[in-house]
Amino acid sequence: MWKFAWRNLATRPLRTILALVGLSIPILGVLGLFSLSGGLRSLVGDTLSRIQGVVVLREGQPSPVFSDLPADLEPQIRALPDVTAVAGEVWKVAPSIEDQSFFGSTVRSLTKGGPNQAMKSLFDQPIIQGQDIVAHQNLKSAIFPRAMVKTSDGGRFLLPEDHDKNRIVISTKIARDYADAKTGEPKKVGDTLKIGEETFEIVGLYNTGSMLLDVIIIMDIDTARRVVKVPKTSVSSFYVEASDPSQNEKLSELIESKLEGVDARGVNEILANFGDLMNQLDLFLLATVALALLVGVVGIINTMLMSTTERFAEFGVLRTNGWSRSNVLTLVTAESAYLGLLAGLVGFVLAVVFTTVANQFITTTGLSLQITWKNALGGLLLSIVMGMLGGLYPAWKASRLVPMDAIRLGNR
Amino acid sequence: MIDVSDVKKSFKSGDTRVEALRGITCSVPRGRFAFIVGPSGSGKSTLLYLMGALDRPSSGTITIDGADLTAMSEVEQNAYRRDKIGFIFQAFNLIANLTAVENVLVPFLPSGVTPEQRAKAESLLTDVGLGARLDHRPRQMSGGEQQRVAIARALVKNPVLVLADEPTGELDSKTGDEIYRILRDLQAKRQTTLVIVTHDRRFIREDDLVLEIQDGHLMNGSALEPAGVR
Repeated sequence: MWKFAWRNLATRPLRTILALVGLSIPILGVLGLFSLSGGLRSLVGDTLSRIQGVVVLREGQPSPVFSDLPADLEPQIRALPDVTAVAGEVWKVAPSIEDQSFFGSTVRSLTKGGPNQAMKSLFDQPIIQGQDIVAHQNLKSAIFPRAMVKTSDGGRFLLPEDHDKNRIVISTKIARDYADAKTGEPKKVGDTLKIGEETFEIVGLYNTGSMLLDVIIIMDIDTARRVVKVPKTSVSSFYVEASDPSQNEKLSELIESKLEGVDARGVNEILANFGDLMNQLDLFLLATVALALLVGVVGIINTMLMSTTERFAEFGVLRTNGWSRSNVLTLVTAESAYLGLLAGLVGFVLAVVFTTVANQFITTTGLSLQITWKNALGGLLLSIVMGMLGGLYPAWKASRLVPMDAIRLGNR
Repeated sequence: MIDVSDVKKSFKSGDTRVEALRGITCSVPRGRFAFIVGPSGSGKSTLLYLMGALDRPSSGTITIDGADLTAMSEVEQNAYRRDKIGFIFQAFNLIANLTAVENVLVPFLPSGVTPEQRAKAESLLTDVGLGARLDHRPRQMSGGEQQRVAIARALVKNPVLVLADEPTGELDSKTGDEIYRILRDLQAKRQTTLVIVTHDRRFIREDDLVLEIQDGHLMNGSALEPAGVR
């Protein structure tokens, strides 16, 4: 019977292809969006896994960029049991770089490069991180010193003598993004970068490979306070290390119980929060794609209804030869299930092509779109279920025909 | 033996109620060749389809070899049609996507075709002269060839009864003669009961039984006699 169902589809190729297109595009959407969501989870997970300490910031703030804390909390944190290092940090969105403001560059990208370029510009927005250099030297898990470009032209990381000096460490990505206007060459160690109204000497280059980290311009904390206008009495956050990183969760709880109005987040908590955010995003994406899926299912209902209406005589003949109503129902549902399966396979192939091509353009971001087997199987299953749902009504209609009437109607 | 007892059938057509059969009583002995004749709209095909358990009479009973079709559930009727009754239609009604041999095997598709059933289908197609066209699709065959496939399909299940509705209605006279020759050969060989609805009385022989229907009534009473006696 399954072979018979398959042939019924194959003999109406144009109609089958149109129904396939209708359902395979939403499936492409599902797989594409989930590959993006998975890529983001992977990127963020990979980035956060480098953070082995606890980040202390203002309660309720999503990130250090929006947080401010009194700088004099440091001794209180340092006094807690098992704390080995505390480093204050200032985080803010960078003012204009080389006279290009965030707003200006986004608008420019939108008008010249379109929405994709604007979105890229949004993700490329540089962030200033001011470090308490001496305190950071005591950290065991500092990310950037370990990510310095190893070659001789990679320069060095910040040293205590850089305190209150206009010296910065930038990523190779920022060096490329703000290349020399005359030569087009990326900035290099010894070159200068204009941030706001001040000029900074680049003393080192790093490369973490993560689009989330490679937008950070690192400088001394007091220099940063001056550039982004944060008072000396404030920091954005503290980076805290414990003697045993596996006890970070306990340390977070201890900090939150001892200090009012702060959040202390270990990497697991940050990951969990991010996971919740991504789950909500997935739900939103699913709701969007569900609309497209509905259109695809309507296409299948239409295709199968036309197909069954043309085949009344055939169903009559099957019934006269002993086929039961459920046999006819199974036949038509099998045809729509095949449609769903084919649409799922086409959608999968399109999604693989789409992600492969997209990955060529985002290699430098650290983001990688991948279609997991779980997502591929889920998409395929979804497509088959949608196909079957689309075929149920036409199948029911075909199965309800009285054989005698079916033959008479079909032979008209 | 087919026993039709006081069968009435009415159905709605628009706002009016059509009395298709108004109390038919007749018997067709096993292994006979019987014709149902009469003008268009007289109820011939309705009686044929009721004999084939394709519909239920409004009242009355139809039994075949003691099995009461009218008392059967839908599932039992399906099984009865699948195992005991073969149908041949005027428009052949082969399934376009299936080859000749697959069309013959249609009754067995839901449960899966056994090698024995396939061999039998091929043998039947060979008997009707289509041994070389087993894998041809309906569109690759002439009308006469398609009707021969339909005959093989009707016989593949070793039915106790074959019902044919104007089997030569869409064929030229020469091909029609050929179809009747095949039907008579197979019926003689298998002793299957054959009931045929037709307008064309030239195919009726003297020893065939004839049921003449007009306006839903059987014109020649319930004791059917061979055509030659009348």
